[in-house]
Amino acid sequence: MAASPALESSASLDSPPSLELSDSFEEFRRAASIDAITRLAREVLLDPTYPTVRAWTRAGRGAVGCFPVYTPQELIHSMGLLPVSLHGGGESVEISHADAPLGSFLCSISKSTLELAMTGLMAPFRAFVFPYICDVSRNLEGIFSRAVPNATTHMLHLPQNFQSKASVPFLVAEYRRLIAKLEKAGGEPYRPERLVESIELFNRQRAEIAQLTATQRAEPGKLTLTESYLIRRLGGLLPREVHLELLGRVRKELGARPNRRKDAIRVLLVGSFCEQPTLDLIDLIEQVGCYVVDDELLQLHRWYDRVEPSGDPLENLAATYVRSPVDIGVRAAPTTKAAAIRQRVDAADAQGVIFLTAKFCEPALEDVVLYRKALDERKIPYLHLEFEERSAAYEQSRLQLETFVESILFD
Amino acid sequence: MAAAKPEPAFLTTARDRQREMVEQYYSDLASAGGPKRPVAYMLVGGNLTEIVRSFGFEVVFPEIVALNCAIKHVSLPNILHAESQGYGLDVCGYVKNDLGLQELGGQTPFGRIPPPDLLVCSFSGCYVYVKWWEALAEKYGCPLFMLDVPYMRDAEPQAEDIQYLVTQLNEFIALLEKITGRSFDLAELRKTLARSRKAEQGWVDYLASGKHRPSPIEAYFEAVFYMFPINVLRGTDVAADFYATVNEEVRARIAEGHYPVPEEKFRLVVEGVPPYPSYRTFWDFFRKWGAVSVAATYPKVGGLFDRGFLHDPARPLESIAEYSLGAYVNQSWPLRRQIIGEYIRDFEADAVLIHGIKSCRSFTAGQGDLRDRLIHDHGIPTLYIESDHEDPRYFAPAQIKNRMDAFFESLDRRRGSVPLPVVNA
Repeated sequence: MAASPALESSASLDSPPSLELSDSFEEFRRAASIDAITRLAREVLLDPTYPTVRAWTRAGRGAVGCFPVYTPQELIHSMGLLPVSLHGGGESVEISHADAPLGSFLCSISKSTLELAMTGLMAPFRAFVFPYICDVSRNLEGIFSRAVPNATTHMLHLPQNFQSKASVPFLVAEYRRLIAKLEKAGGEPYRPERLVESIELFNRQRAEIAQLTATQRAEPGKLTLTESYLIRRLGGLLPREVHLELLGRVRKELGARPNRRKDAIRVLLVGSFCEQPTLDLIDLIEQVGCYVVDDELLQLHRWYDRVEPSGDPLENLAATYVRSPVDIGVRAAPTTKAAAIRQRVDAADAQGVIFLTAKFCEPALEDVVLYRKALDERKIPYLHLEFEERSAAYEQSRLQLETFVESILFD
Repeated sequence: MAAAKPEPAFLTTARDRQREMVEQYYSDLASAGGPKRPVAYMLVGGNLTEIVRSFGFEVVFPEIVALNCAIKHVSLPNILHAESQGYGLDVCGYVKNDLGLQELGGQTPFGRIPPPDLLVCSFSGCYVYVKWWEALAEKYGCPLFMLDVPYMRDAEPQAEDIQYLVTQLNEFIALLEKITGRSFDLAELRKTLARSRKAEQGWVDYLASGKHRPSPIEAYFEAVFYMFPINVLRGTDVAADFYATVNEEVRARIAEGHYPVPEEKFRLVVEGVPPYPSYRTFWDFFRKWGAVSVAATYPKVGGLFDRGFLHDPARPLESIAEYSLGAYVNQSWPLRRQIIGEYIRDFEADAVLIHGIKSCRSFTAGQGDLRDRLIHDHGIPTLYIESDHEDPRYFAPAQIKNRMDAFFESLDRRRGSVPLPVVNA
């Protein structure tokens, strides 16, 4: 396989890319089992050259990179563009260019995302959207415009006032600003009827994912967290039509899978809503004896159950986001943090909470203090681990996790 | 015998007047709460002080309290206490100072800070504001109003942003009426805004005097000192009158030839929050080289008054909306770069000094990119150094001094050979 010119100029990649997908994503259409799907997903995730984007754009189609944690991807899809969830460089990107422009004391995901841009690996993208979820994400947009001068960049201001009657009209206006940018970036002109179609497609995708996570919660012996995670992660990387087909096959297989119970504790995994832990770390949590019955990984498909397709679709999309009950570190709480964490523990029937926060992620770190206090008052056990994208040694984490699990099992 | 080296000039009447105002403010706060006056906590960026005061609230700005703690070298115990409660090393120093101080009872060397009855979060340019105010709401259980201020991506405010803000302001006023049982007095607000406008014009005149050669003001270290009335007391008579006193003294400096840096050698634009725990030491590193800041971004955190905005009593809520958009860190990086470029040009600066803050991502994330652009795209000598605005553990004086000495030395050498460019960055 020939490397792209961008790759040849890259100095920071640990290993060359290996995955070349067909334009029609046949590899995923043919993957008949969860094993086959997750194997492919691992290959995609470990290849920082965005194989799904390269396959999509090879035929002249456009892709838009969406920084976590929320972008109206239905809207991007309706304009003929592939919305792609960005989750940094993962384990395989060494930071050698992005430290200088960004400065120290910043999260890995901001640095590795910029590194990928500065080394040319994001050249296949036409546009990037950075929602205002924290100051780093917001500022990254202004830096990207220089790192990727040919691409369109947009900072999306998501409302933080969820009580105002003006929040929905404002978000509609924000979406119109985004539409104007995407049209300039080569997206098809915005058409409400196309958005309705996209909303219906995404509703089906969300329903499938809701079923997947419900299985994870009710029958945790049926699929591992890693499997669930990999299947969900593909949902932000593949054409949604391809992902939806794949989810149907997953559902069918899960229906026939036995619920193999093991001696494990039920935990809530909190704090990894933006930067993602490594697959090894996700594996480890289960290896030591945890059933993760609720998590904040990949909020993408879980902001709301569905968007009403009838009526004004743009307004519906905005209203559904504003009314979303999701309470995570980058969305101002409609209730107190104490009430929120207790409610989630109860709803998931969790025995403990693992806070898994990215290093330097200030919104997550500040919430953890409030959550811990609330859990202390109810005597609910918890453990706090910090991670970085390129964390490699997990012995310390393993020891902490094992101690945590044993303390609950033998309590 | 060699001539005596000229002494740096400080404002005297203004300094004394400001000291009185600060003492009075904290004294009033210490007696607030209880039966006297309710207390609202507010943030500096995009604050709604005129509206809140019109309902009879005393206003506490925890950021200002935090910087006052740092400058008086009492921030560390508060920070350590917050860390003992679980706030990590990477959390904003202002937040840790305040939450630590709250847990310790609110006592400072300048008075006791009363707990809030109302939390007003003007989410303008800093996401930590949201988290901070959530933590305070959790602790005190008092009402929290979230003013969601859209991020500025265009040079001019957009109609939809103003409409969003004005609606929220009306909702805020309704909440204040409900809490206090008082009716909103528009005529009174207009009068308050007229006083704000007078203070703002005086502040703008003060900042503009940095264009003189030599500069009669120190636009970073000295201006930071005189930010207190424009941020904390805006809308009051004392603030409205204060800057006339300041500017009178500045004019006297020019007339008498007494300057804050007597032998001005380098004119700097400074970007970033000061290292408050080592404020004096840091300033000395400038003065030693005859370096004066002629313009700075940090004094604009409360509003970009120097770029044409003044509160307008004829358009009260609309102008408050426009004001809230104008906090410096609420400007996108392209806008920030434009502002800095115009300062370099208009104030005839020789160089830029950037002070990055380890625990402030809002100000700091991207300052390295700014440095790179200024140097490589525009040929502006630029130095980036890093410490913290609150935490004295992160100020390494020897290292910072070495880097600044080397920078000024190279500027000195360069001045002898190559003319410095003045461009719009």
